[in-house]
Amino acid sequence: MEKACININELINVFSIKQGSIYQSDKLNCFFVDFGGKFARYNCLSLRKLKKVVEDIDIDALLLNTHKADFEVVTFNGCEHIYLLNACEIVALKELLQGTFTMFKLNHLISDCLHRLVV
Amino acid sequence: MKDLMRIKSLISQDIETLLNQQIKKEAHSSSLYLSMSSWCDQNGFDFSADYFAKQAEEERMHQLKLFKYVLDMGGNAISPEVSGIKTDFAGFREVFEDALEAEIAITQSFKNIYAKCQNEQDFVTMEFLNWFLKEQREEEYKARRALELFEVIGEEGTGRWEIDKHVNKITYSEQ
Ligand SMILES: [Fe+2]
Ligand SMILES: [Fe+2]
Repeated sequence: MEKACININELINVFSIKQGSIYQSDKLNCFFVDFGGKFARYNCLSLRKLKKVVEDIDIDALLLNTHKADFEVVTFNGCEHIYLLNACEIVALKELLQGTFTMFKLNHLISDCLHRLVV
Repeated sequence: MKDLMRIKSLISQDIETLLNQQIKKEAHSSSLYLSMSSWCDQNGFDFSADYFAKQAEEERMHQLKLFKYVLDMGGNAISPEVSGIKTDFAGFREVFEDALEAEIAITQSFKNIYAKCQNEQDFVTMEFLNWFLKEQREEEYKARRALELFEVIGEEGTGRWEIDKHVNKITYSEQ
């Protein structure tokens, strides 16, 4: 739904994998996570929370536990979005988020060199 | 592309994680000292009980100082869970041995954070940590001096009673 309200051209693709992408909007100071059939908006804090929640999932336990479905609900307090993901999707989302945060680090280094350091 | 994460917070996530771990360690120290205070009180070492109660309060202050810094820099400060506090000690001397060991571990921990800051060129946090490095000088000195009383006075006869009386008088001055 939100996809219709924002101009996709103004979004910067931070990181992509086969299963999804994460974009940044410099105008709205926020991020959009395109994953699992959802196009969801996050701010700095909630994107970090999402990463932590995904990283904290014990994938081995999820696969080995026979009393539970191999799905996991991914969400956190204050998050407007809920994902129901299987183990493969969780691994993919984790990769997507970790790649994104690596790009943030890289962007930080570049910003420092280009704009912030007075020579 | 805007550097949104940096706009939000002065410290990196790695440093934030380390500082949150340190918050937990200070909380642990505080609980441990309180536990030592309880043991000393129950065994009749009133001055040492006071000494450790004061130390417990100081550790709580350290925890809050770190907590405020993380928040002020735009990070997420986490209120720690503390568990596994030792409540029983084999003897009066062991309490002081444990206290010194705990302070050494804390000094080591601050050195590690400092090294990471140096690596990241986070001079702002390094400057903040200077206060703690100096504090550790005093903390280790006091813990070491207290333990030395066991050698100087000896535990025989009224020795422990004498040691207890002296523990509260240990002070540190740079000059
Ligand atoms: Fe401390
Ligand atoms: Fe201490």
